[in-house]
Amino acid sequence: MEEEEGADPNLTTKTVGIDAGLQKKHQAMLDRLSNRHQARLDNSLARRSDSTISSESSSSFLSRFSHSKQSIDSQLAESRLIAQSDPSRLKSHFADVSSSISDLEKLVAESSYFLPSYEVRSSLKTISDLKQNLETLNSELTPKRKFSFKNKGTTKKEHPKEPEPAKPDTVSTSNFKIPDSPGFRNKSNETLVKKFEGTEVGEFTLSDLDSCEVRLIGCCNAVFMNRLKNCKVYLGPVTGSILIEDVEGCIFVLASHQIRIHLAKRCDFYLRVRSRPIIEDSNAVRFAPYCLDYEGIEMDLEKAGLSEETGNWENVDDFKWLRAVQSPNWCVLPENERVGKFLRAVPGLRALNNRHVCDALCYLA
Amino acid sequence: MGLLSIIRKIKRKEKEMRILMVGLDNSGKTTIVLKINGEDTSVISPTLGFNIKTISYQKYTLNIWDVGGQRTIRSYWRNYFEQTDGLVWVVDSSDLRRLDDCKMELDNLLKEERLSGASLLVLANKQDIKGALTPTEIAKVLNLEVMDKSRHWKIVGCSAYTGEGLLEGFDWLVQDVASRIYMLD
Repeated sequence: MEEEEGADPNLTTKTVGIDAGLQKKHQAMLDRLSNRHQARLDNSLARRSDSTISSESSSSFLSRFSHSKQSIDSQLAESRLIAQSDPSRLKSHFADVSSSISDLEKLVAESSYFLPSYEVRSSLKTISDLKQNLETLNSELTPKRKFSFKNKGTTKKEHPKEPEPAKPDTVSTSNFKIPDSPGFRNKSNETLVKKFEGTEVGEFTLSDLDSCEVRLIGCCNAVFMNRLKNCKVYLGPVTGSILIEDVEGCIFVLASHQIRIHLAKRCDFYLRVRSRPIIEDSNAVRFAPYCLDYEGIEMDLEKAGLSEETGNWENVDDFKWLRAVQSPNWCVLPENERVGKFLRAVPGLRALNNRHVCDALCYLA
Repeated sequence: MGLLSIIRKIKRKEKEMRILMVGLDNSGKTTIVLKINGEDTSVISPTLGFNIKTISYQKYTLNIWDVGGQRTIRSYWRNYFEQTDGLVWVVDSSDLRRLDDCKMELDNLLKEERLSGASLLVLANKQDIKGALTPTEIAKVLNLEVMDKSRHWKIVGCSAYTGEGLLEGFDWLVQDVASRIYMLD
């Protein structure tokens, strides 16, 4: 710059007028820069001193951490008492606990940059344990509420449709009457038969059955199954979907448009499905084609659009095994282990009387 | 001009809307999407992953994201939250046992910041099945009225099987989203 100015004096004289203004600007800029520099220096100093404080405070962090952990622990312990005395408060209580856990988590996150990595890991472990505890307590203490709503509903007949404002936090399902859906519930060692006729088709529920034999003859729209153990379930065609959850040691003979199987263990499924059946969280389940026989089943299958074998019974999707290789959780039932025909020559309700004959047929075939 | 604003401009011009369909498994999300698109609904497998359908609806183009509802893949829902204009929550009104589950998942979903601006349409599906709860009952179970101040929402009873109620629901959703996004036109 200087050289250029020297080389062309005319230019300098011209620019003198502007120079004063420029000079000012230049000075202001310099000031600003030095200010910023100072600020930066201060900042970094502060940060350094900060970190020295915080390294000392790693012990103070630990004491804070253990303090809040204790309070959460006691809150968790308290929840059992609450469950007994005032279950309606349980939900808000759990919400409180979970928010204090997340506060704790935040504390760890904020302190993580100065904490030794061991401390970070162990506190994260503690937090995940706490979460786990909360989860188990929650599932342990709340299912009562989950399945009591139907009964509760009937006892509170006066205001079936008005949720009580006193407990806005409880799940409002408990506050009005949900009509009990048709189904078989809470039975053991029984043969349960239901024949669907005419237009009264709808949904049907099987739940909490132990060592039962269930026969649903005819068509219905939807079937829900939940918590079955060592049962044999024979179903006529279902026009909608079947949802199965938490079953063990059972045999199912099912025909439907959609079949979803969750939490099944050691079960055999004889299926006819329009779409691909799916399993989730299941293992040791085996699949074979549908083979139910009762008087009039051909017509029912036709009516439900299930008269053709689609071959989908073996196109099982395992949502816990999203890979191209065969899932270890299910297999095709070997042909020599398959039962030939179920319920042959058992026309509907007469099955009850022929029970022993039928069983013999099933297992000799 | 940033890329984002260019995309926004284009989107505005084409009047696109992004609709996210979620709900528990077996609630009928895929069936609903295929039904409003006039496709065959007799063979539908449970959704492993997601489907995208682009549908012309009135003067708008809807991009409908239909995401699988099985428990294992629910954690992936959040990958689809970005830029969602309308949210459709589908309920199996005949599945009384899992209504608690349904409420819990919906509550979790609505906490999501990225969905805070989206209009919510709750479809109380399977009204054709005898024993299904009515939309009013479902609204009570899900405690929807607490959202009155914070969100535009509506519940509509429908049957993906017969097609009843679907258009009513989507009409509302599209109008509601349009009145927010395309107010200037």
